[in-house]
Amino acid sequence: MREEISETTTTLFNRYVKKWKDGGGKVVGYTCTYVPEEIIYAAGMLPFRLRGIEATSTSIGDTYYGPVICSFPKCVLQLAGEGKYKFLDGAVICNGCDSMRRLDECWRKASEDYEGILPSWFYYYGVPHKVADYSLKWFVEETKRLIDSLEAHFGVKITDDDLKKAISVYNKGRTLLKRLDGLRIMDEVPISGADALAVIIAGTAIPRDEYNKLLEELLEELEESKERITGKKRLLLGGSVNDDVSLVELIEETDAIVVADTLCFGSRSYVDLIEEDGDPLVAICKRYLTHSFCPRMFGYYKERFRFLKERAEKAKVDGVILQNIRFCDLHGSENGIFERDLEAAGIPCMRMEREYGPLVETGRIKMRIDAFLERIS
Amino acid sequence: MNVAGIDIGSITAKAAFLTDGKILGTRVTFTGYNPEQAGKKVFEDLLAELSMDAASIDRVVSTGYGRNSVKFADKAITEIICHGVGAHYLSPHVRSIIDVGGQDSKVIVVGTDGKVKDFVMNDKCAAGTGRFLEVMARALKVDLDNFGAISLKADKSLKISSICTVFAESEVISLISKGESREDIIAGIHESVASRVSTLANRVGVSDPIMMTGGVAKNIGVVKALEKKLGMSIEVSEFAQVNGAIGAAVMAMRL
Repeated sequence: MREEISETTTTLFNRYVKKWKDGGGKVVGYTCTYVPEEIIYAAGMLPFRLRGIEATSTSIGDTYYGPVICSFPKCVLQLAGEGKYKFLDGAVICNGCDSMRRLDECWRKASEDYEGILPSWFYYYGVPHKVADYSLKWFVEETKRLIDSLEAHFGVKITDDDLKKAISVYNKGRTLLKRLDGLRIMDEVPISGADALAVIIAGTAIPRDEYNKLLEELLEELEESKERITGKKRLLLGGSVNDDVSLVELIEETDAIVVADTLCFGSRSYVDLIEEDGDPLVAICKRYLTHSFCPRMFGYYKERFRFLKERAEKAKVDGVILQNIRFCDLHGSENGIFERDLEAAGIPCMRMEREYGPLVETGRIKMRIDAFLERIS
Repeated sequence: MNVAGIDIGSITAKAAFLTDGKILGTRVTFTGYNPEQAGKKVFEDLLAELSMDAASIDRVVSTGYGRNSVKFADKAITEIICHGVGAHYLSPHVRSIIDVGGQDSKVIVVGTDGKVKDFVMNDKCAAGTGRFLEVMARALKVDLDNFGAISLKADKSLKISSICTVFAESEVISLISKGESREDIIAGIHESVASRVSTLANRVGVSDPIMMTGGVAKNIGVVKALEKKLGMSIEVSEFAQVNGAIGAAVMAMRL
């Protein structure tokens, strides 16, 4: 994989962010695929998805969070406490799930003890859990408030034209990523699952115009490449938040390749486009509220299962691995039902719980992956 | 044809030799800190015990957490598959295997052909495993081999509520200082292990007949407590602890 792309998967303050900051640009962090990056882009700033990579302990995270909480936001808070997010000019925290919502309170509280770790603009953004005409109306108002606050704090103005341009740039990126999906589901795959995840994640950490260009070049290279991966067990990786490329590497170490995913750091972030006609703000809100569902949305199990099953079938997978971070109630419980229904549909499935952060228990995870591969061969 | 299965577990290393499908011999030794050496040692010791030489073994399959450090093995296969195959070899009618080893507990469901249909494994922590029992045996100053027999003499089973091994140990220590009998405490420990394992068993949908394998199967107290929890009877073979190695040897036969 190109070094500039792999760098973004392991380094928060990557060369693109550094260049952006050196040029006087502002960076705004966001927590989840329910925060519209288009708004931040339209304000002329770099949207940067918050992650927990580089965390080697959760000593600070554990201080402000309780013990039975997902380790992903703990790692994010850890990095914030260590000052690694000081390059952020702002951050938007949303109620993606309860653990992520608490990042708002915990980060604020931690900033009383660790000076200067709270970005000067620190905004809480509420996203409805149901899709209905009234929740969309509410969400549009909430997003207007987000825009007002952003404009007031940074002294910028976001026009409809800015939003329209942002929509078109992000839609282009999404369309390119869908082209990458098309390459991954071929019988002879030109890119490993680990590299593909790195490419997708890079999109959350590189200015979008630059990223689109990079992605286009890469797609052309891949389309022409003679190097193809064949003869491996094809897998889909689903479940809770994963931006850890080494987890995919671990899966792919033995005779397997991840050819599709239903991760929020993966396909869930780009399969749905935004309508380019009509009121741009409403179009953005509509897409973000209804985009490929996270189990944070009440109901919609059938839709989520259909999405998972369709992706598995399209990619002709031999099996599905559903992982979730310990204490993730949303994905943890849904994975159990997915497993039941996938197995009933004849798609072998394995689920596992893990901790977010540096892969320490690789031996036990590996054993289960190997046993699963042996089971489906 | 002579084949060997080597199972390197977290606490013990096991070897099993088969000739034309019959068990020639088995052996157990401690893994220690060097799984590679443990694999070699258990293999060579069994060769010596059976007055055989390495050249007479046609194929070797390794399994267990140290499976990849057995350099002389022709293939490494996970213990999930090997326990399924081993149990099927020992008792072809078995449909579920409960394997409780040093650091893992697993429940494996197999088809009529012995092929693994589904499996679950403890992923929270090592409570309810062999290591848990070792810690408790140390706290009670009882030889672990006698745990099963002692627990059968219990009048009642005391409740151990902590899941965490370290906290459970301090619970045991307070029970000791309260003057509770060793028998009742050990019965409570077995029930606690059984309750962890039965949760896994229910998750995967365990079905009769069940065979228990792994070192902990040697503990009659745990087996009885599990039978009570699951409401099913559990078979334990004399080869329970070496079942993974036997499965590996069967897999070597099929290579």
